[in-house]
Amino acid sequence: MADINRTIQELLSDYAGALRDGCVPVFLKSLTRQEGQTITSCGEFWDATQVVRALNGVGFADKAITADVGLFISRVDAKIASRLKKAKTSPRRSSRRRPSSERRALPEHQRTEETL
Amino acid sequence: MNRRLRNALKGLLAPDADRRRRAMEPFVRATFDMFIRYLYRYLGNEVECEDVLEDVYADIWEDPERLRHAGSERELIRTVYMYYMRKHLREVYRRMNRHMYLPQKDMENLVAPELGILDSLSQAELGQILHRAMGRLKARERRAVELWMEGMSSRAIANDLRTTVGAVKMLKSRTVLKLKKVLNEYCDKC
Repeated sequence: MADINRTIQELLSDYAGALRDGCVPVFLKSLTRQEGQTITSCGEFWDATQVVRALNGVGFADKAITADVGLFISRVDAKIASRLKKAKTSPRRSSRRRPSSERRALPEHQRTEETL
Repeated sequence: MNRRLRNALKGLLAPDADRRRRAMEPFVRATFDMFIRYLYRYLGNEVECEDVLEDVYADIWEDPERLRHAGSERELIRTVYMYYMRKHLREVYRRMNRHMYLPQKDMENLVAPELGILDSLSQAELGQILHRAMGRLKARERRAVELWMEGMSSRAIANDLRTTVGAVKMLKSRTVLKLKKVLNEYCDKC
């Protein structure tokens, strides 16, 4: 990927290789401004990416499968727990009411927004 | 959709958040392989896939309503992609894009904005169709794709085919476009 001003075929081939090897950011960083413009204007490239993704899925997706999902499930559960915690704490913050004297001092349109 | 998945989905649609949380385990077990394979098509990196999938499952737990009408595995994967996966994939691609020259809109095209026919096929269906499509390629084209799918670099493929790296890149991209045409024909027949 060290070449500059690659043709669209070379770019596609490099993109496919990068996707296969899990290094799309390296491919993206390697693009020059001109190459970026070439990709943008080329419909063929976007058509081909669909096939490249399919090939990637069929050929290499097995690599992503882990034998034991248990660890991943505990990660998901921890994420859910943190979201639950956030959900429990955030309404309390928003429901803190101002003293009634302050509320009266607000203009009418703001009071309506608050009740909504 | 198999019974295990259907039951997992039923538990997930419970109104009670705690019950939904308990139902996540069977749901993850039933769908992990399917979802991670699907994500791998876009990311090609198992660590990144797991990070995205973690957020996807948490989103599903938070708002599973979209999955209520998923009657088949294909519908399920389509719904999950459109409403839960795609936004996270876009975030990942946006993060990758911070140094470069592709406009944000084109960047998003790398994460399919709408699911094409190929994108919506399951792994098994895709494998079958691809196998048949490969049969219609010329021997040299097929060999190049096979070697590429074995994980060989362009240089290694060039050595095997006794040609130059540039010629291999041309051959690969020509073959990919040809495959696209053949795959579309098969998909139309389906």
